[in-house]
Amino acid sequence: MTLPNEFLIEVAQWLLFGAFAAYLLAFVLYGAGTIGRQLSRGTKFQHTAGWGTVANVVGVTLHGLAILARWQGSGFWPTSNMYEFIGFMAFSSMVAYLVLHRIYRMYVVGALATPVTLFLLAYSYVFPREVTPLIPALNTIWLPLHVSLAALGEGFFAVAFVAALLYLLRLRGIELAQARAAEQAAATAETTAAGGGAAPGMIAAGGAVGVAAVPLSAQQAKHKWEEVLGVRLLEGVFYLILVMVAFFLLAAVFRLLGAEWQFVGATYHLPPIIGPVGAEVGEKGTFWGIPLPLVVVSGMWKGKHLNTLLYALVGGSLLYAAVRLFITRGRIGDALALRVSGDLELLDEISYRAVAIGYPIFTLGGLIFAMIWAKQAWTRYWGWDPKETWAFIAWCVYSAYLHFRITWGWEGRWSAWLAVLGFGVVLFTLVGVNLLIVGLHSYAGV
Amino acid sequence: MRPPAGPNQWTLLLDRTWEFFASTKVAAWIIVAIAAAAALGSLIEQEGTYPDWRPPELYYPARYGEFWGSLFLRLGLTHTFTSVWFVALVLMLVVSLVICSLHRLVPLHRMLTRPQVWKLPHFLRKQQVVLETPHALAEVEARLRKAGYRIYRDRECLYAEKGRLGRYGPYVLHIGLLVICFAAFANALPGWNKAEDVWIPDGQTVKVPGTNFAITNHKFTIEFYENGTPSRYATDASIIADGQEVLRQTIEVNHPLAYDGWEIYQVSWREEPGVAHLRLVHEETGQVVATVPLDLRDPQPEYPIEGTNLKLAVRTYLHDFTVDPVTQEPANASYEVRNPVLIAEVVTADTGHVLGRMGLSIAGNIGVVNFGPYYLDVERVDIRRYTALRIQQDRTVPYMYAGLAIVFIGMIMSFFIYHWQVWVRAEEGGVLIGARAHKNRFALKRELRRLFGTSRGEGMERYDTA
Repeated sequence: MTLPNEFLIEVAQWLLFGAFAAYLLAFVLYGAGTIGRQLSRGTKFQHTAGWGTVANVVGVTLHGLAILARWQGSGFWPTSNMYEFIGFMAFSSMVAYLVLHRIYRMYVVGALATPVTLFLLAYSYVFPREVTPLIPALNTIWLPLHVSLAALGEGFFAVAFVAALLYLLRLRGIELAQARAAEQAAATAETTAAGGGAAPGMIAAGGAVGVAAVPLSAQQAKHKWEEVLGVRLLEGVFYLILVMVAFFLLAAVFRLLGAEWQFVGATYHLPPIIGPVGAEVGEKGTFWGIPLPLVVVSGMWKGKHLNTLLYALVGGSLLYAAVRLFITRGRIGDALALRVSGDLELLDEISYRAVAIGYPIFTLGGLIFAMIWAKQAWTRYWGWDPKETWAFIAWCVYSAYLHFRITWGWEGRWSAWLAVLGFGVVLFTLVGVNLLIVGLHSYAGV
Repeated sequence: MRPPAGPNQWTLLLDRTWEFFASTKVAAWIIVAIAAAAALGSLIEQEGTYPDWRPPELYYPARYGEFWGSLFLRLGLTHTFTSVWFVALVLMLVVSLVICSLHRLVPLHRMLTRPQVWKLPHFLRKQQVVLETPHALAEVEARLRKAGYRIYRDRECLYAEKGRLGRYGPYVLHIGLLVICFAAFANALPGWNKAEDVWIPDGQTVKVPGTNFAITNHKFTIEFYENGTPSRYATDASIIADGQEVLRQTIEVNHPLAYDGWEIYQVSWREEPGVAHLRLVHEETGQVVATVPLDLRDPQPEYPIEGTNLKLAVRTYLHDFTVDPVTQEPANASYEVRNPVLIAEVVTADTGHVLGRMGLSIAGNIGVVNFGPYYLDVERVDIRRYTALRIQQDRTVPYMYAGLAIVFIGMIMSFFIYHWQVWVRAEEGGVLIGARAHKNRFALKRELRRLFGTSRGEGMERYDTA
């Protein structure tokens, strides 16, 4: 193996930084071009969103160059540890978005897909950035083939998730708008009735709206599930997103501080509230008056992972409460739903199309190549290793998605939920499996 | 395709079963059920993967608590992927794949090969894309033909289609999945997947059980990166058949050796103390009487001492010395060469007269008593490396590769060949066009706009709605 070329690896870091800046700019431009434009009733930011795409193209070019530079610098394709892989995921999700943007040109998708890329790229910085030389099992052409293609497919799934989420938001927005219109109409009708001798035109108007409102309430009764549970589920998705954001922020802050707590068999990067097996309460001093660790788990659990989970959940809950109380003043989903515009049918189509492109790529990279490689490295095609199993589960969810879509009554809302679920499974495959379950694929050591 | 429903109850049952498995919705739910089962199987530790020596009946209640542990055991969740119900789910999927595909493929094929060209206007108006243009039918036909459509004519109507092959994609994919399922099930049949693991020390040859050849390990090599991570495991190996070397090749991780239908994989390695070079020393003079190479795995009973009439006889040898707690006798603690201890005698070669008796602990952690003028000590210990090779004959390989290839081809057909159907009907002053895309309807819309424009002369639609 050639020695890593420090200069090229340094160059790759700077290119990546440039890509990050470009994506950030694109996010701002898309935000202005969609929500800003809507708030100004179309008077301002009319061409801003287009510049967002330009920024994204610049970003993805720099990102691609960064990957090539690191490849040349380290001597092997940079998808071998978590830092490189999550960064590659960010790249492939942006590529997938730009492909779909070229077909459909829908900026609101960009306004949500760009932060997904940004988040992934930022998350990659949590992991150690050193070049880790390839162990013999990884040192083959199948590493770039299997990992890059699987990640590319997953990038398309990310865009499908974004479009599906927008679809659900838009649907909710339409429902909210209808409900508000009905409320207003009812109020108008009341004032008209109270006014007694009002102008005939007013009565006619009130009556017309009243007629329109009747089938709406019937519809509402029909969609009881969506009204009650669907709205909460949508809110749950935003809660989970904030949990991930909180996890990332905490991990980044403590990584920057360089904090570390050593136990026998485990190294914590977050203050150990929940200690590993064999630790003693309070053995690491105190943190803001709390003895570290506060509790010690039994052998049945992995203390480090529970500790991380605790931080993510507490941080996510605080973040969620803060956003809900101070920014959106109500359900986050509802606040966003009223800001999202766009053609429902088109959003559905984009989501489906993203799955339709991502699914064969993912199958080829994530399953077919994976099986061929596993046969040659581990002597068997398939061993139900956790990573394999979860890739299989993700594949099953998207297969079910494709089958449900062709049965009656499952397009639209239900497909959108399946696309959201599918990406949840993908994220669990990428991060959750490494964090919670240990298997053959955990080379990276999170 | 449905079997005729007769008065016979069996026929009725068959009919019902057919209908059940012919439903796409049922197929999708079976897929969901398999996914859910797989999720359970990955979250609960599986037999053979948990890091504990205890058998499942003891391990699971201790790991998950009495109630849950026993429940998992009883439900087979401790070996999910080989449990009866998981296999049953997969078999249901297989049945569904067959029935669902047949149920749809036959009418689809009929529809595609014998299309109905003549349609009423209201049928055309129901399609995804509807256009009214002032073009003549002949002009429409020419333009569609140029755009790559296959044209059918019937009186004042025209039917054009392209990408018909795409409609067969899902069925090709399903056939591929069936082949893969066959390979997976065949893998469990006796004789289809034979595997043998052998440990071969450097320089030795081992006959592979169940085959007619032996393997020589000339040398096993490990290389490391600067930071200590292993970079390469390689065995310089030869295949020996009928006492002849027939093939010599380096076996590495990711590069198995293929010989006569067998694949030979590098799977593991280990090392242990191999040969101890012992010195027999005369205690008073300090003179080294002899140097003896003692194989710690398999010492010879006697080592003649060159230039003398003496020999060193090994009386007792234990490769992992311990005192058995029950019998209080010296014994081996394990199979490993970990704590080798020997008792040897110096005897005359011809008469067998004992001149001295020595003990030796190679690791030097046990005190020994010597009788006579000699003692033993260790000059050096050579490390012996073993390579572990898996010799495998997997007859499912061609089926698996064929299945994977068919799945891939089916997928490309399904997702990248779009079936578009266009019906055209001549009307007064122009034509009515109704078109349907089985996939990618926005591109179809765009193509038709490009070909014909709209009656009101609008340009291309932009989907910039944000």
